[in-house]
Amino acid sequence: MGDKMKNSLSEKKLVLDNRIYSPEAVKLAAFVFSGRTGIKIKYGKSASQALIEDQASGNASGEFMNEVLNQQCRIDLAKKSSKIAGIIVTKALLSAAGEKR
Amino acid sequence: MKNQNKKIISLTIRSKENNLDTIRYAAYAVSAAAYVFIKPAGPALFPRPSKCGAGGGVTVEFTPKLLSQVTGHKSQAGTPAQAAKKLLERFREELKDEKLRAEIFEANRDLREFMILKALAYEEPPAGARQEDAGLTPEQEKELDALIAQVESEIKKESAGKRSRDPLGITRTWEEKYGAKNRRKKN
Amino acid sequence: MAQRTAAKKIERTKSGPPDALWRKIGGTYLLTNDSGHYAWLGEKDFRLVMAGGLTERHPLFSELASKGFVRNRLDFNDIAAKWKKKNAYLDQGPGLHILVMTLRCNHKCLYCQSSASGVGDKKTDMDLGTARKSVDFAFNSPNSGITIEFQGGEPLLNWEVLKGAVKYARERAQSTGKELRLALVSNFSLMTEEKADFLLKNEVSLCTSLDGPAALHDKNRLTPGGRSHSDTVKWIKYFQKRSGKQVPEYRVFKPSALLTVSKYSLPRHKEIIDEYVRLGLEDVFVRPLAPIGYARRLWDTIGYDAGEFAGFYLKSLDYMLKLNRRGVFIREKMAAMMLDKIINFKDPGYLDARCPCGAAIGQLAYNYNGDLYTCDEGRMVGWEGDDLFRIGNVFKDSYKKVMTSQATKGCVVASNLEAQPACARCAYKPYCGVCPVYNYEVQGSLWGNIPANDRCGLFKGVFDTLFTLLKSPANAEILKKWVTK
Repeated sequence: MGDKMKNSLSEKKLVLDNRIYSPEAVKLAAFVFSGRTGIKIKYGKSASQALIEDQASGNASGEFMNEVLNQQCRIDLAKKSSKIAGIIVTKALLSAAGEKR
Repeated sequence: MKNQNKKIISLTIRSKENNLDTIRYAAYAVSAAAYVFIKPAGPALFPRPSKCGAGGGVTVEFTPKLLSQVTGHKSQAGTPAQAAKKLLERFREELKDEKLRAEIFEANRDLREFMILKALAYEEPPAGARQEDAGLTPEQEKELDALIAQVESEIKKESAGKRSRDPLGITRTWEEKYGAKNRRKKN
Repeated sequence: MAQRTAAKKIERTKSGPPDALWRKIGGTYLLTNDSGHYAWLGEKDFRLVMAGGLTERHPLFSELASKGFVRNRLDFNDIAAKWKKKNAYLDQGPGLHILVMTLRCNHKCLYCQSSASGVGDKKTDMDLGTARKSVDFAFNSPNSGITIEFQGGEPLLNWEVLKGAVKYARERAQSTGKELRLALVSNFSLMTEEKADFLLKNEVSLCTSLDGPAALHDKNRLTPGGRSHSDTVKWIKYFQKRSGKQVPEYRVFKPSALLTVSKYSLPRHKEIIDEYVRLGLEDVFVRPLAPIGYARRLWDTIGYDAGEFAGFYLKSLDYMLKLNRRGVFIREKMAAMMLDKIINFKDPGYLDARCPCGAAIGQLAYNYNGDLYTCDEGRMVGWEGDDLFRIGNVFKDSYKKVMTSQATKGCVVASNLEAQPACARCAYKPYCGVCPVYNYEVQGSLWGNIPANDRCGLFKGVFDTLFTLLKSPANAEILKKWVTK
């Protein structure tokens, strides 16, 4: 799946093109996964390379790819909706803190 | 182009009608049912920024989990082939939907921001107070609706029977009388 | 003539696509928008509306225009007013303050999410000083009215401090002029007439758990002697009798009960609802289980997925509607709260389903030691050893510091549906909410991954059920009564 070379029986390598998966998305996904399984990321000019330990059960590399996509879609949305999102968050926090506008 | 290699389904999208954001979201929307990976279909991802074009495009690879996860029903365990078929159907639907959403978003972005700000600043007028004239009130809208309906029914009545006589050209519109904007003499 | 011209001009002009969200259910489209209006459309009409091609001649034009689905006929004031009303909490601070009086409990419920400890472990009792400080902290909320809810463990195990907290809270309410509601969530097994009297005289509303008939209730809610159901029922009847004899000195509220749905509940919806009806309870709160706390450890035994819950929920609602048609008033509480948004464009105060969620900004959980958490679920995560959702301490931190803490901000940002890729596009966005604690516990981050999020699946199931039921005029009539009573 994807471009991967099995470095060992339990490790999978993914090559994530920067044009499709921004390094920021990869970084966020790696952070989410850091507690779950062994993961190493190398950030390159055109692509990020992720080395993931796949457990005996489950599909950690598959889950990681989905998480990168999750983070990337969040970033895509933020580019379009950050103004409205920011307005709502600001309003909610100010009101809770008792600041009147 | 669809290719089934073991359990992986690849779909290459080269259409000019889908940009990368759309493809990413559509893939994301089905990611509960499959592991998804997107990679370039060729060396030039898109001939122009954010648009698929000839020679470019992306390949989306799906590894379906279970048919039950595709459909959301535990009872539908299904075969891998069934899961694959269902998944592709869903992905294509999502692509269509997301394309429409992108159009709607662009058409309404400013309006939406205006509306949220207006809503946040909105204060219920005190009982009995006159509302500021910020446009038509609901009552005025209803009146206008009734007026338009009345006008329409008059138009219907007139066009239902014999042709009406209009020797003075009263029923002709302004454009019909004086011509469309680009044909008129400029001042 | 000018009127005819105007009419023809409006007819010719395409209005552009409306700002709308949609969901295809069966062969039809449910359309919604930010102000909370909704409409059902067939395929053809849906395409026409979304192309902005709806003309005044169309039979649905008036309806859709009045609901904000025709772009050049928007009533800005109406849209703004409805949006504001539905999101009224954005102008407020935390209204619900949960005081965890003790972690001790004399029950060992299978699904316990409160991380209750054994009866003897008094070091997890809140002392009076902490209780008073917590009450003081709650009164910092900018809201003109607050609710203090006493929970546990089993709060009656710490009776003297509970009593002291109730008295102190009433004194503070009197001196500040703030409206105060008090509530107690208890299994009732330790209730006595003396305690009941004190609680009622201080206008404490009472809530308990009732999981159905005795066999089912006692299977979920284990206690030495196995008397959980009989104790619960005894005191429900007692408080109902008292609420039937109101006195001028104080108001007596009817007792309420919550149902926690476990795997054992799924085939028994009818028996559960019949039990509520038998006891004269008018509300059933069909609460799904979440894999947090003890429930997580036993999930394989007692848990279920979103599809299974949706099936149970639909059957339960169907049965309740049937009973209503026979003249028995019984209402599902979660449905009532959602319907308040859908039908009345109101904010029902449901902290789990709002944007942003109620974590910290809508509610606070005060642990027995004065530690503050974003919510009770956040407190349970803390008890399991992860203090991510701890936002301060009543003795050490100011109200403002707590409201601007990293965890508070993190939860607010992560539960903003405008920033969630799936939620921002969902037809149920105007009525729904995400839970950062659930996301963190189950999916490893505050944001979660919504397409694969079972809580999302669960809520979608609830909304699918409600909107589909609303399509039938007979059902709609009953459902509307649920939110006009």
